Amino acid sequence: MMDELERTTQARAARVQAARAALDRRALLQGAVAGAGFFAGAAWLGGAARAAQSVAAGGTPQAAAKRRVVLVAFAGGVRTKETFGKPENIPNLKRIADSGVLYTRARSANLGHYGAALSIFNGVAEQRGIRENSRGDQPTVFELARKELGLPASEAWITTAGGAQQVNYSHSLHPDYGARYGATTLDGDGVFNREFKGLLEKHGRPREWPQGEKDALAALRRSISGGGAEAERRIAASERVEQWILSELGRGTAELTGANAADAKALRLARNLVALFKPTLTAVVLQEADMAHGNYGGYVEVVRRNDAAIGELWTAIQSDPELAATTTLVVVPEFGRDRDLNSRRGLDHGDGSDDLHYVTCLCAGPGLRRGLVVKEEVAVVDVAATTCDLVGAKGRGGRKLPQLRA
Amino acid sequence: MFPRPATSSTRAARQDGATPAEPRRLSAGELRRVCLDLLGRPPLAEERARWTDASADAVLEELVASRRFWEQWLDEQLWYFLLVDQFAPRGEGVLRLPDELAAGELDAREAVHRIALAPNFDQRNPGADTFVTVVMEQLCGLQVDKARRELELGKKMYEGAEARFLGGAGRSQSDVVKLAVASDEFARHYIAREHARVAHRAAEPRQLAAWARRFAKEPREYPILVREWLSGASLDERLARRRPLSNRAWARALHVDLMGREPTREELEPMRQALDALADPAPLCGVMARLLLDGGKARIEAPGADRAAWVRARWLEVLGREPRPDELAGVVEAMARPGCRVETVLYALVTSEEAATS
Repeated sequence: MMDELERTTQARAARVQAARAALDRRALLQGAVAGAGFFAGAAWLGGAARAAQSVAAGGTPQAAAKRRVVLVAFAGGVRTKETFGKPENIPNLKRIADSGVLYTRARSANLGHYGAALSIFNGVAEQRGIRENSRGDQPTVFELARKELGLPASEAWITTAGGAQQVNYSHSLHPDYGARYGATTLDGDGVFNREFKGLLEKHGRPREWPQGEKDALAALRRSISGGGAEAERRIAASERVEQWILSELGRGTAELTGANAADAKALRLARNLVALFKPTLTAVVLQEADMAHGNYGGYVEVVRRNDAAIGELWTAIQSDPELAATTTLVVVPEFGRDRDLNSRRGLDHGDGSDDLHYVTCLCAGPGLRRGLVVKEEVAVVDVAATTCDLVGAKGRGGRKLPQLRA
Repeated sequence: MFPRPATSSTRAARQDGATPAEPRRLSAGELRRVCLDLLGRPPLAEERARWTDASADAVLEELVASRRFWEQWLDEQLWYFLLVDQFAPRGEGVLRLPDELAAGELDAREAVHRIALAPNFDQRNPGADTFVTVVMEQLCGLQVDKARRELELGKKMYEGAEARFLGGAGRSQSDVVKLAVASDEFARHYIAREHARVAHRAAEPRQLAAWARRFAKEPREYPILVREWLSGASLDERLARRRPLSNRAWARALHVDLMGREPTREELEPMRQALDALADPAPLCGVMARLLLDGGKARIEAPGADRAAWVRARWLEVLGREPRPDELAGVVEAMARPGCRVETVLYALVTSEEAATS
């Protein structure tokens, strides 16, 4: 089903293609105006969107100088055999790879989905319980970038598909970082589902409170919390996200179904967030490929559908001049899968084979090499330091992906 | 730091002497927190009336014998194994566990065994490597990277080969579970995690070893252990610090505080699932509270002429404490504003950071 954002994105893509050759500041302003018009109802936008509106109004184009990363953890266990080993499954990733850098031997550690995916965000491969429902000890790229670059909460988002456990990726327990520097994290399938929508319909959507009541509420909250600037900031940020969720519920995300429904929701939300907030860091964690344990055909279908959804995300980025000029897309699985089918004609992950331990990592964006295939061994955990570098943060050091910059 | 709950309890005499110790009694705030810990919700009105200022021992005895205690126990176990959402058990075998446990027909070890044999546990942990890893990690508290050989033996057994795993012989997936649940490691790990859940702190190694031995010998002692963990100084220690509520406890508390009843499963699950979808659920807590308050179904006692008395009663119900003087003055003043409704005050109260703690 084509939603309003898709129609707008396509229309915008057509406009941009026509004008791309003569892209100048004027075109940038037009793009920003179009975006601001579409989201006119969302006057509460975060810093990035406000910056874009400021550009449109003739202000300093700070947003254009910003560097952004969209990091897709193609998690759930995805082998190269079904992706770049079979390009017909992934026409979009192939298309993106042609304009970027492909690392065909990215070594991963078999730490279970949770630990391995977490290592993409904190750069540290450490053993975690498969069903461990607690945060990591090392700061994530969100915390590192937000603290070092002084970014507000609206500049780092992560959308997930794997339920409650994945919400732990938002931030670490590190005493110098933690929740105050974490990403705003949203599991798409948890909020944007028919049951929650049904609950809203059953009770009726919350009504808009008149200004007098809002003022009274602010006074009540000050009395209860004891006041303070930090408490007021938290409450204001919370109200902004509340408004966004309520508006997003009307955009069709809750109706997405199919083999990759949870992944599709995470990718759809990321696409909408990137277009709306233009954050510095947006991450997506997928998970549905793990159905491969018992359903090889379903797994391949998930790979195909996720390829299509990542293609839409890439198109949304490329169709916005500001985003196209500043955004790098990184796509990497947390690990692969076994070499051979199991007794249920599915694919587990535990045989120690190269199919399990080596995956393919893709990076594409402005200032990067184009069409380069790097065959030397790199590590999946190198993505964390690379991501920090791409947004202009030093992070905590660590090895970065080689031969990336043009 | 939030203020300590008001207490009307009398403390047990601690000095040496002939004076017999008075029983430890639970104030309204303490009762709320103990109920949230053990029942996953605040006390209902009739429980509040019966248990406030009652002896802590008597309340705990009644609590751990209730079906609701075992319902909460099951809820916690399913969360521990992440058997939630699409992996939540639907079969009668698991769903009737609270009835059987409350009736004494089953003990906690047998119940965990049944959970690990349920089809959903298998679906949640597909394949030999994942399944055996989870059994070792979650049932026995073992680190697989330090027990690789055991993992490989367990995987062989899972695939149907004769093997020895955790000290016993077997040749099937169900044998893997049976041997894990029967192991000493299971008893130690189960007691350690349950103590941490109930007492909100790690156990001392010697105490833990003694409790694990008792549990291994007689698993039906588990409810007695829970009472011990929440008695005397341990109870005082637990109540000395507030802890964040889980999202499901918060959603249940919201229903009890605003509707005067527990939510149905159909009401709770979408709320819980949505709250769990955010690392910081505060934005959705506001949505949930407004759903109930604006939907006109909340059970709201209208304030009479004495607004301060109304505020005190609501603060005791929801936060388990009297309002601070400045707080009381500020709230009463806000209530006099033209735009302020009773619902506005309740909204501010139930969505406060303090209400999200226990």
